[in-house]
Amino acid sequence: MKNITLESLDRSEALRYMGYGETAPDEKIMSEVRQCEKQLLAVIKPCFVYKVFDTEPAENGVALKGTTLILKGRDISEHLKGCEKCVLFAATLSFAADMLIRRYEATDMTKAVIADFLASAAVEQVCDIADKTVRTELEGYYQTWRFSPGYGDLPIDIQGEFLDVIDAGKRIGLNVTTGNILTPRKSVTAVIGLSKNKISKGRQGCALCNMKEVCQFRKRGEHCAF
Amino acid sequence: MRFDELLKKKEFIVLDGAMGTMLQAKGLKMGETPEALNIEKPDWLYDIHRQYIEAGSDIIYANTFGANRYKLKKCGYSVEQVVGEAIKIARKACEGTDTLVALDIGPIGQMLEPTGTLSFEDAYDTFKQLVLAGREADVVVFETMTDLYELKAAILAAKENTDLPILCTMTFEENMRTFTGCDISAMCVTAEGLGADAVGVNCSLGPKELYPVVEKICRWTTLPVIVKPNAGLPDPVTNEYNCSPEEFARLAEALIPLGINIIGGCCGTNPAYIKELVKMLADKKSVQRNVQIPAVCCSAVETVVIDQPRIIGERINPTGKKRFKQALLEGDIDYILGQAIEQIHAGADILDVNVGLPSIDEKAMMVRAVKALQGIVDTPLQLDSTIPEVMEAALRVYNGKPIVNSVNAEEESLNNVLPLVKKYGAAVVGLTLDENGIPKTADERFKLAKKILDRALAIGIRKEDVFIDCLTLTASAEQENVMQTVNAVRRVKEELGLRTVLGVSNISFGLPGREIVNHNFLMMCLTSGLDLPIMNPNIDSMAATVRAYKLLTNIDKNSVNFIAHYGGETNAPAKKQEPKGDIDLTYAIENGLKGEGAEITAKLLETTDSMVIINEMLVPALDRAGERFEQGKIFLPQLIQTAGVAQACFEVIKNKMLSEGGSSVSKGKIILATVKGDIHDIGKNIVKVLLENYGYDVIDLGKDVDYQTVVDAAIENDVHLVGLSALMTTTLVSMEETIKLLRANNVDCKIMVGGAVVTPDYAEQIGADFYSKDAKQSVDIARQVFGN
Repeated sequence: MKNITLESLDRSEALRYMGYGETAPDEKIMSEVRQCEKQLLAVIKPCFVYKVFDTEPAENGVALKGTTLILKGRDISEHLKGCEKCVLFAATLSFAADMLIRRYEATDMTKAVIADFLASAAVEQVCDIADKTVRTELEGYYQTWRFSPGYGDLPIDIQGEFLDVIDAGKRIGLNVTTGNILTPRKSVTAVIGLSKNKISKGRQGCALCNMKEVCQFRKRGEHCAF
Repeated sequence: MRFDELLKKKEFIVLDGAMGTMLQAKGLKMGETPEALNIEKPDWLYDIHRQYIEAGSDIIYANTFGANRYKLKKCGYSVEQVVGEAIKIARKACEGTDTLVALDIGPIGQMLEPTGTLSFEDAYDTFKQLVLAGREADVVVFETMTDLYELKAAILAAKENTDLPILCTMTFEENMRTFTGCDISAMCVTAEGLGADAVGVNCSLGPKELYPVVEKICRWTTLPVIVKPNAGLPDPVTNEYNCSPEEFARLAEALIPLGINIIGGCCGTNPAYIKELVKMLADKKSVQRNVQIPAVCCSAVETVVIDQPRIIGERINPTGKKRFKQALLEGDIDYILGQAIEQIHAGADILDVNVGLPSIDEKAMMVRAVKALQGIVDTPLQLDSTIPEVMEAALRVYNGKPIVNSVNAEEESLNNVLPLVKKYGAAVVGLTLDENGIPKTADERFKLAKKILDRALAIGIRKEDVFIDCLTLTASAEQENVMQTVNAVRRVKEELGLRTVLGVSNISFGLPGREIVNHNFLMMCLTSGLDLPIMNPNIDSMAATVRAYKLLTNIDKNSVNFIAHYGGETNAPAKKQEPKGDIDLTYAIENGLKGEGAEITAKLLETTDSMVIINEMLVPALDRAGERFEQGKIFLPQLIQTAGVAQACFEVIKNKMLSEGGSSVSKGKIILATVKGDIHDIGKNIVKVLLENYGYDVIDLGKDVDYQTVVDAAIENDVHLVGLSALMTTTLVSMEETIKLLRANNVDCKIMVGGAVVTPDYAEQIGADFYSKDAKQSVDIARQVFGN
């Protein structure tokens, strides 16, 4: 388990989520953004946990040795093709982010909306740091991009077992509801493939994404940067 | 041998070490249900238990850590089966020894509301099933807990369904808190108050890193203290723990002077660690702790020690407040939450919560209010009701150690209230009145205080948990008795050594210049020993009096807090900007100027009809913002900001109408709900703000809403438009089920659906009448449905 300190939040990414692309928000909104950022930074306790597993092909996906977990689906099999190992990781901003957003929801919806987007951007920052940490600590491996349960045909109902095999409940306080939603809410789980040999795969982008029909970014001719 | 005998007999009780680590060594795969092995590999467990017993464990934990109904789902065995077998195996392993068997219970693995979807009541039932299944054990252990609320449900379940001793350990991180922010002092006072038999820490870190945690636990409880550390810290890549059995024992030795009583090992430990512990402890004596737990109340996150005046905010109370009553009648919980936040910002340390109104279900509203409040604020609560059933319901769902307001010296009150205070480990306000009313003299009130104290002590309530209210009478009616109150406060404080509490605002009732009278009376009482003024902190002069008192009595060392409030521009509370003379309502709304919007509305109301303001100013301004949002000229935060100003304007109009005895404006009633299983409700809340600002009455059912709840609410309130939201593909099915049930019950309503994953096609397919792509469109739909 690793605790992280974020010095600042990725405001421009959060603003992009809010819809501000070319249009800059006015000073009043920017001032709210700064206040929310300060509050979030004061309360969140970002952390992540990861574990490395040996992979082996299974009938309907990829099995992780020493566990009962099978990453099911064509897409994850494709993603982990040529990867003898993979990393499972989970990252969270902690319980306090949920509470702050709830408090704003009761008193100031503008702040609630802004804090929600900022927190989404923040958890991506934590993931980027986790990604980098894996790179440093597991020298000599090429690694794939992050593939999360619920993306493509990797079922989201593996979330519970996923957390169990990396002991995320005990190690970073991350749980899942019966509806497979991660709690605290501003959290991410993902699989990173590892190979001693070069992996020549680009990002798969929107093609596999379940949100492609309703995505606000796509409607504007953008993408979410995934 | 029983647990209490064991405690007496031994200097230290030795627990066992890790179970998971041992099972993995035998071949348990990660992700498998370890408790299924009780049925599939009983010999593995027997062997592990034997190894720990031979190593010297006085108590072994049966393999029941995750044997709850949620976690067992995937293995197909029942709780009774798995727990029953586990205890049987452990018993067999203990044959011929004095070793005790613990029913070991870990977290359910689901977060409780409001972050998760598990209700407190469901958590209680889950634990109840476990303790009933494990009745044959010698003790119950709740361990690795991170959420105090879950631990409370667990302790209550054990207390109410067995007589077994209860051992509780939580998992604290290096910042001395659990993952949910629970503080050590809060855990200690809450668990001890609820009747746990020992408290402490397990897992988390190694014995070295846990030193400050154990030190703090030992200062905050009079109970035996448990320590069950990991074998040091795990290596991030190999996951191997870095502490050898010898080092583990050596580091654990350093904890003895702190006053620990019960020790074992958690993750990464094995029988070798226990053997070393036993060896190390052989010639050691336990250290008697002489701790005096102060007068406190707490939430899970914040402990308020009553070692100086603390402000109890009085505003969450409908008495004499039309707007508050209206909020209660409408079930408008956000209004109550707003009152809480405002008082905290103004300086309240504790919040009094009273939601008593004859025409509502006070018990249901109290439970709802307490749950909602503790979901957004860390400030401890004082639960205020005259009805014992309401009080018990509130005490049950409160997360932490609350104050009960109140008991008095009448027999009936003493008999009804004090047992509740004892059972739930609360503090209590004792009013110095009895069957004969409020005595006139300080002497008589003092006697009643003494009576309340004696009765509290007799049933085991600590002296520190009794706060006496000597009662304020109004100076206009009984001027000659004001000093009786002040003198009674002094005597109770000095002669009984109790904390004192007093509602101060009543003193000035019926007088002009109430504020002047109030803050002077407050200062007189503080000087005479008042600890807990119940007052309105939003009035500057009142909070200021407390701050000044703390400065003058050298409580606020170096005047740090005082200067933070009143010195220099940077730390002073933000001053409201004076409204510029030339701006109008439209300008205020479009520019997000909340305060100005409200002030302009108040002025306009003097000359203009409220419906004219709504229809000719507010709505057109909102419409313009909506259009600009659709055109991509402004974005969500600005749209919401606009709505926020309109909301402030509406609030002013609503207050005016209420004060004139009229009913509130409504263009139609709309139900909004985030469907069963889904907890992402920010989108729904945005829709709510917008709809309310167009004059619709929104009945907000919240998130994770049962299908039937939607149907019932629609029928009961005669609602003709229902809005459902879902954010996950996995919860879309709940949306469909809710619609089916509404249709099956022939509810005469239109249904609109929305949320990130909902498409127009899908909306049609599941039988919704409208698809709403965003908050703006939901307003258009409402207009269409209601024809306004």
